Amino acid sequence: MAAVAQQTSGRVSAREVAVWDPLVRLIHWSLALTILLNGTFIEEESKTHEWIGYIALGLVGLRLVWALIGPKHARFSAFPPSPARAVNHLRAMLSGDKTIHLSHNPLGALMVYNIWASVIAIGITGYMMTTITFFGVDWVEEAHEVIFGWLLFSVALHVAGVAFDTWRSGVNLVRAMINGRKTIPYGREVE
Amino acid sequence: MKLRIWPAKTKEKRATVLAGLILLQAICALFFIGDVIEDFREDGHLDNPHLLLESVAAIALVGGVIFLMIELRGLLSRVSDMQIGLDIAQGHLADIIETFFDEWGLTSAERDVAIMILKGLDNDSIAQVRKTAAGTVRAQATSIYSKSGTDGRAQFISLLIEELLADNQHLGSAEAALNAKTTNAASPDASGETT
Repeated sequence: MAAVAQQTSGRVSAREVAVWDPLVRLIHWSLALTILLNGTFIEEESKTHEWIGYIALGLVGLRLVWALIGPKHARFSAFPPSPARAVNHLRAMLSGDKTIHLSHNPLGALMVYNIWASVIAIGITGYMMTTITFFGVDWVEEAHEVIFGWLLFSVALHVAGVAFDTWRSGVNLVRAMINGRKTIPYGREVE
Repeated sequence: MKLRIWPAKTKEKRATVLAGLILLQAICALFFIGDVIEDFREDGHLDNPHLLLESVAAIALVGGVIFLMIELRGLLSRVSDMQIGLDIAQGHLADIIETFFDEWGLTSAERDVAIMILKGLDNDSIAQVRKTAAGTVRAQATSIYSKSGTDGRAQFISLLIEELLADNQHLGSAEAALNAKTTNAASPDASGETT
């Protein structure tokens, strides 16, 4: 019995679950790239800056559609925007609960919506600057820059959150966003 | 497991390609939509043929993107169904092997050796893995063959294949035990779904 049990439990003990489909991963890294490019290398007020901005906007739009029609871990229903859930999650985490979330954890979910909303806001204010009505209007330009600052802060927090959760749950989240699989340690509860 | 029957792998590659196409096509759609908006802003007429053609292209591209997304979702759900089926089958096979071993009354050392024989290791390799003499393994193997009523390695391995191809009393008797395991194998996914 032991020999066979070992074989089977060996497979179960480090269970790999496919969570992030290729489209989610491609959109994630493409969006990261657009933010990086527009924030650092690309000349502001250049045509390229505008186009990269629109691509970022398109990526978020595509992701929103995918959240409506995609597979279950990519859907809104897998990570509803709920502060109450986030608070519960925080409390459970502090009391040592090590439940693993297959999709975004409730805190991560809030960050996801925050980043999407920021990108959309930056895209819209950016577009406004190209229109005759809002060209050179101060508050639009200011909003564009302030929200971009907020986005950078969010991204830093996002990366810190990923590092923290990887340490806390023992699931390598960066790897999961690269190959799409979360390796669930043995005997861990999954939500 | 070096040899793998893994149709899911090629499907996964297809899914990645499909996702890449969706992304590229979405960017193309974006370009056309942007162009339509810009032209419209400059010109203000929707009836000029150039703009009309561009609008049609933009709509077609958006439709294509949505269609590909639905396609991708179908492909992904087929992959995940296949994975679940494979998991269940692997669980079943392990259970069937266990049932056999119990029935034959193998000792725990013999079980180890029997598993390695089924995995295709020869006696020398088994001796190496178990850190015993080759003679010991040979004796254990002989005992396994006699207990299972087979006359050698080939027939011993084929017993399992036979079991998988034909449904006979072994499967029937193990059915009850298997059902419990099956629900276990399926439950991780089910629990994911309920939350």
